[in-house]
Amino acid sequence: MVQLFINGLIAGSLGALVAGGLALVYGVLGVFNLALGQMALIGGYSTWWLHQSLHLPLSISILGGLLVGALLAWLTFEIFVNPFYRRHRFLPLVTTIALSMILDGAILLLFQERPRSIVPGLKKMVQMGDARISMEQVGLILITFVLLASFAYVLHSTAFGRKIRAVVQHEHAAWSLGIPAHILHRLIFILSGVLAACGGIFLGIDQNLTPIFAFPLTIKAYAAIIAGGKGNFWGAILCAYLIAFLEQFVVGIHWFGLFYVPAGYQQSVALVFIIFFLLFKPSGLFVRSARAA
Amino acid sequence: MPILSLHSISLTIQNHTILQDVSFEVEEGEVIGLIGPNGSGKTTLFNVLSGFLQPTQGSITYKEQDITGFIPSRRAQMGIGRVFQHFGIFREMTLEENVLVALEAMPGEQRKSLGDLREVVKATLAMATLTDHAKEKAGSLSGGQMRLLEISRTLKSGNDLFLLDEPTAGVSPKMTHQVAGAIEALKKEGKTVLIIEHDLPFISKICDRVVVLDVGQVVLTGAPDNVRQSKELQEVYFGADPTT
Repeated sequence: MVQLFINGLIAGSLGALVAGGLALVYGVLGVFNLALGQMALIGGYSTWWLHQSLHLPLSISILGGLLVGALLAWLTFEIFVNPFYRRHRFLPLVTTIALSMILDGAILLLFQERPRSIVPGLKKMVQMGDARISMEQVGLILITFVLLASFAYVLHSTAFGRKIRAVVQHEHAAWSLGIPAHILHRLIFILSGVLAACGGIFLGIDQNLTPIFAFPLTIKAYAAIIAGGKGNFWGAILCAYLIAFLEQFVVGIHWFGLFYVPAGYQQSVALVFIIFFLLFKPSGLFVRSARAA
Repeated sequence: MPILSLHSISLTIQNHTILQDVSFEVEEGEVIGLIGPNGSGKTTLFNVLSGFLQPTQGSITYKEQDITGFIPSRRAQMGIGRVFQHFGIFREMTLEENVLVALEAMPGEQRKSLGDLREVVKATLAMATLTDHAKEKAGSLSGGQMRLLEISRTLKSGNDLFLLDEPTAGVSPKMTHQVAGAIEALKKEGKTVLIIEHDLPFISKICDRVVVLDVGQVVLTGAPDNVRQSKELQEVYFGADPTT
């Protein structure tokens, strides 16, 4: 049980970073970026390339990966989102699907199908009762909490954060107070790219990067923001952890002492989540009167 | 010299003409009522003045500067404040935060001249008689309280021109009186105000001049009492008398 909980915490940390970025972008721009999974992987692969091929120190490689994530998000915004999202909010859905296909091809071309690990080799494991956890995983969980706590501070206790929340809650009123919403749109999109790249880097450090991870990453993030209340940042974060725990417990429990659910069905938890919430609670778990950051 | 001039403003969206050759000037310190039936283009005109819509023809001059191509935030920083018909407040933020974010968005020098922003927030909420609700979410307020919060916030943001879109809509009669008081306070401070309103007695009471819009065109301007008694206004609202 403790092991399942730890596994859920690790998977949830990764999901929370990607879902948080997706929720922010939806909250501010009202659009879904369906290429976020690929953007996460490219952040991870860039770090792998810098560390394993160019032999740069890990910290520099991580910074490089985050920079690539920011640059890719900025280009995505300028080319695939900005020209379309004011015309119809579903247009970026189509353009980012197209981008996801382009990025899938680019990943295969540049990094091939074989698994890539940013920190290969045996991990140093720590025993916690019956459960085992690697030092990298402890770091991943802690860094995610620090990142989210920092983000909470920025969002709720700084002028910049208040401006972001103002744009999320009433964009026209924010413009009318002199808040340049168009600049915040770009910054939020870039921030979502950096958070996604963080997720990709964590994935590459904890496990291996392979191109097939992109789609499940996006789907889990999408499920988290639907369940959390579309555009509700904290709702999405909580639901990313909730989905991760469910994924672990669904396949990890010996149901009624009779059977295990095959591990192949683990990925379907997110899809069941999407179907359930769209059918029975389309507003999500945590939504209040309006989209709220 | 007028603070605001509209020169032949026209707006066409998808072959539908919404504003047509709208021209008028607003002197500094004037309170102008903008009236007309639903769909006459009043709120659209406010959207053009705020920068949310670009006119297809014509230009806007504010404080002797052509602002036609300026984005909304730049216009706001030049002193054009807007109060929205459907409450332009941030419902998930506290009242304090609602005022603070407006002050923080002001241009640097202007913001610094205010001193301690927390004190300005307190003064703003006191002015709106909302001090007791300072820590509450703005979404929990009544319609009238939301309106007072929005007007007071816009006033303290250092604006010179106020665009008030139906400030008494969704407001109880008692609170309407308070909203009128807030507009009177703007007038006393020498601020320039444009008000969209359907309540003609309210307009007569507080406006210096009235501009009547119909099907996107200015059909009448004048002193409130003259406009109220004019035959043209009856025609705009009730159609032409078939016996004449």
